[in-house]
Amino acid sequence: MSILFKGRQHGAKQQGISRIQLFVMFFVDHLRQSLYSLGELYRTPFASLMTIGVLGFSLTLPGTLYIVVKNTEQISEQWQQASEISLFLRSDISDANAKQLVKRLSVWSEVESISYLPADKALEEFEQLSGLGDAIGYLEENPLPAVLLVVPTSRHATPTAASLLLDKLRQEREVELGKLDIEWLERLYAILDVAKELVFLLALLLFFAVVLIIGNTIRLNIMNKKDEILVMKLVGATDAFIHRPFMYTGFWFGFIGGVFAWLTISIVLFWIDWNMQDTLALYNLNLDITGMDFGAIGVMLLISVGLGLMGSFLSVRRHVRDIEPQ
Amino acid sequence: MIKFEQVSKTYSGGQQALSKVDFHLEPGEMAFLTGHSGAGKSTLLKLISIMERPTVGNVLINGHNLNNISRNQIAYIRRDIGMIFQSHQLLMDRSVFDNVALPLVIEGHSRKNIASRVMAALDMVGLKTKAKHSPVMLSGGEQQRVGIARAVVNRPPLLLADEPTGNLDPKLSMEIIRLFEDFNQAGVSVLIATHDLGLIARMKYRTLTLKQGKMITDGLEQNDEGVS
Repeated sequence: MSILFKGRQHGAKQQGISRIQLFVMFFVDHLRQSLYSLGELYRTPFASLMTIGVLGFSLTLPGTLYIVVKNTEQISEQWQQASEISLFLRSDISDANAKQLVKRLSVWSEVESISYLPADKALEEFEQLSGLGDAIGYLEENPLPAVLLVVPTSRHATPTAASLLLDKLRQEREVELGKLDIEWLERLYAILDVAKELVFLLALLLFFAVVLIIGNTIRLNIMNKKDEILVMKLVGATDAFIHRPFMYTGFWFGFIGGVFAWLTISIVLFWIDWNMQDTLALYNLNLDITGMDFGAIGVMLLISVGLGLMGSFLSVRRHVRDIEPQ
Repeated sequence: MIKFEQVSKTYSGGQQALSKVDFHLEPGEMAFLTGHSGAGKSTLLKLISIMERPTVGNVLINGHNLNNISRNQIAYIRRDIGMIFQSHQLLMDRSVFDNVALPLVIEGHSRKNIASRVMAALDMVGLKTKAKHSPVMLSGGEQQRVGIARAVVNRPPLLLADEPTGNLDPKLSMEIIRLFEDFNQAGVSVLIATHDLGLIARMKYRTLTLKQGKMITDGLEQNDEGVS
């Protein structure tokens, strides 16, 4: 409807088209424009690929780190199951008493298995491992206590359950000291938390960079089309109409960049997997690297499309406004 | 149709382009706007198409004060005004058809409707056979006619032309003016800015003359103030 001339109607209204047709036309129009923008990218393949590459690689880094952190968590869960408790016995406990204790404890429901290491065996082991050799012979008496290694059942292997079990074991008369081998695990968790924060921060910075890069690319596109935008404004195009093809360009940058990142992440993971199998075999660890599931791929595509749209929105809002017929 | 009330325009550099201009173009009227280069012709046209805003005074189209039109509404105002430029303002990388179709595409017409209207407009300016050509392949006069076809394709009630015959020889200029007469006879109000006094002399239309930003004559009489 015209502002100046009452009764003079514009466009679709003039043709008496129904609302349903208008609705369909709206989507057909948008589809056509999005394909047109895709065609524009195809017409300048080199420039487009560079922008898409920047976006793709920028997403690859946080994406890969995210997967590394996720997998490290999974491995550490494997280790957590293997946590064992070391019980150091009082030095005045005889060998026979110690064996009795082993018998008593092995019937506990929380205990999977127990191995007993007498004090002299422990010294022998220490002699071999430490390389101190003869020096140990000069000791007047064996300074090492006898040790019981208690492996909890899998139900009692979680950090909290295991420390409860440890408290219970400490109550035993023969036990001088008990130690749970999960402190390093707690440290690992703390490190992983820091790593997660770092990945998040890094991702945020890279996303910011991506928005700026796309914004700048779209700015150059706008400058290249300055004459066209001028003519469009002269014949009555609204800003939104002029924005639309650039927004679609941003959308495609984001979408194709996201797919690109997915591919590079897959390649990187395949490469890591292939390289790590030998190393892991040495540690008797079995690791299947979990790649990206559909949820993660979906989130990544959403993020990259979002970044593309944000970059182009910031650019068109600022620069299309500046182009005014003089 | 167009009414100027005590309109002055001073550019930011302090240069006064128009001062206290008053005139009224009736609906369905055709008039020439003339004067030296720098007399304010282009500024006057820019105030009508809201490429510039007046410093003082009111510009009214069909009784609506353009001072009340917000930035976001300007696009809709321009859809009611067919504009023709000396430099054509055609998109050289699009076909003649696409150039003429642009205002209709912007308004969201259907493809079928666009095709029939564009061909009708091209027929009016005698370029029906060149729809698929690129504007680069056309002569200056033909390019100007493409610009005119684009200006009238959505049947605006008002046509503005800024030096439409600037680069054309007298014969071609006359053809262009005849086209404007045709549209005027169909009820369109037409305002043509030109310094081609020979052209104006051969036509008996109202002539508005600007000199240093002031409207010095407003009428049918011949003036000799302009560029010889």
